[in-house]
Amino acid sequence: MNFLKRTLKNVLYFFKGFVHGFRENAISYIEMEERELENIFSLLLMASFIGIPSPPTTLVIRLLPYMVKEIIIMQSKSRRLDDPLGEVAGMFEIG
Amino acid sequence: MNSVTLREYLLPEGDTRIIIVIGKGGVGKTTLSAAIATAISSHGYKTHIISLDPAHNLGDVLEEELSSTPKEISNNLYASELDLEDLVKKYLRNLDDSLKSMYRYLTVLNLEKYFDILASSPGIEEYATLDALMEIVKARSSWDVIVLDTPPTGLTLRVLGLPKISLIWTEKLMGLRRAILERREAIRRIRGDEESSQEEYKIPVKEEEDPVMQELKKYYEDINYLYNFLTDLQKTTVVCVMNPDRLSFFETKRAKDSLLRFGLSLRLIIINKVLREGCITDELKGVLALQKEVLNKVKEEFQGLDIITIHHANDEPRGLNALKDLGIQILESD
Repeated sequence: MNFLKRTLKNVLYFFKGFVHGFRENAISYIEMEERELENIFSLLLMASFIGIPSPPTTLVIRLLPYMVKEIIIMQSKSRRLDDPLGEVAGMFEIG
Repeated sequence: MNSVTLREYLLPEGDTRIIIVIGKGGVGKTTLSAAIATAISSHGYKTHIISLDPAHNLGDVLEEELSSTPKEISNNLYASELDLEDLVKKYLRNLDDSLKSMYRYLTVLNLEKYFDILASSPGIEEYATLDALMEIVKARSSWDVIVLDTPPTGLTLRVLGLPKISLIWTEKLMGLRRAILERREAIRRIRGDEESSQEEYKIPVKEEEDPVMQELKKYYEDINYLYNFLTDLQKTTVVCVMNPDRLSFFETKRAKDSLLRFGLSLRLIIINKVLREGCITDELKGVLALQKEVLNKVKEEFQGLDIITIHHANDEPRGLNALKDLGIQILESD
C-alpha cells in the first residue's frame, strides 16, 4: 500500500516537473521580451549617454530612484553586448 | 478713475492673469514689463513681476535689490528674480534624498555617476525654468496678475515649447512602461506569486503599485495642467516687444509662428524706441526711413493683432513714476 502511494507520488512529481519545465520554457520568451523592454526603457531615459535626444531631464530625475532593476538589466545587457547573437541562440536553444 | 478703457487681456478674468513678455535681447523687455506691472498695480490689482532672465536687470529698472522671494515695491506691486542655479541645485537635492532611501537594499549600484552627468546635461536650465513656471502657475492664487520678464526669445521659446514636447515623451514612455507591466503580469500569472515573495524587493506588477508609472502619470498631469493654462487665452497673454528694425521684425515673425506651433498665441506687439519725425539730422534720415518701412511691414504681417508704438525717450525710464507713465500707455487702449 505504502509502496503504491510512494510510486503514485513520484509519478505525480514527474509530471509536475514536466509541467514546470514547459511553463518555464513558455515564460522565458516573455521574460526575454520583458528584459528587452526594460533595457530600452532605461536606455531611453539615459539617452544622452549614447548620443540620442533624451526625455525631459526633470522626468528622468524623478524616475531614476525607482529604476534600480531596469538599470541593473541595462548594465548587464551592455556588458554582454559583444555577443548578442549568443544570447539569441541561447534563447532558441541552438548549438 | 476716469472713463478710459483698459486692455482687458492684460487684466485678470476670473483667474489670475499671467502676462509673458518676450522679445529679442535689448529691445526693452524688462523696462516694458516693469512698466506694465506698475500700471496694472496702480489700478488696484495685486501684481507680481518675476524675472526669469538669468542676466537679471529687473532690479536695476525698479531701483531695488531683488531676490527670489517677492519683495513689495509699492502698494500692490511685488517683484522677484528667480535664480536658475538654485533651482537646479534644488532638483539634485531632492534626487539625493530619494536615492538614499533606495540605497537601503541596494548597496552595489553606483547611481551617483549617472546622476552627476545628468546634472550638467544639456537643457537642464530650460527644464528648471519650466519647473519654475509650473510652480508659479500652481501658486498663482495669491496674485491677480503675474508679469513674467523672460530671457531673449530663443531660450524663452524653447521653454514655452517644452510642455508639448514633454507630453509627447511622457505618453510614449507610459506606453512602453505599460508594455513592461503587461509582461510582468503575464509572467506572474503563469508562475504564480510564490517565487517572487522571498525576495526583499518586490517587483511591481500593477500600474497602481509601480512607482515609475505613478511618477509618469503625475508628471503628465502636471505638464498637461501647465499646458492648458498657457494655451488658455483668458489666463495667459503673450506680449512681444520689438524695435523698429528689420532683425527685430523677422524675429517677431518667427516667434509668432513658433508660438502657434506650441499652441500659444501672441496677443500684443509693442514697438519700442520709435523715433518721432521732426528735427532730424541727415544721419538719422536713413534710420527713419527704415523705421517707416518696418512699421508698415508690421502692420501688414500682424493683421488682427494689437500693436502699440512707444516713442523713443530721451532718458531711460527708471523708477516707479516713469515706469507707471510708460505702462499706462500700454494698459489703456485708445
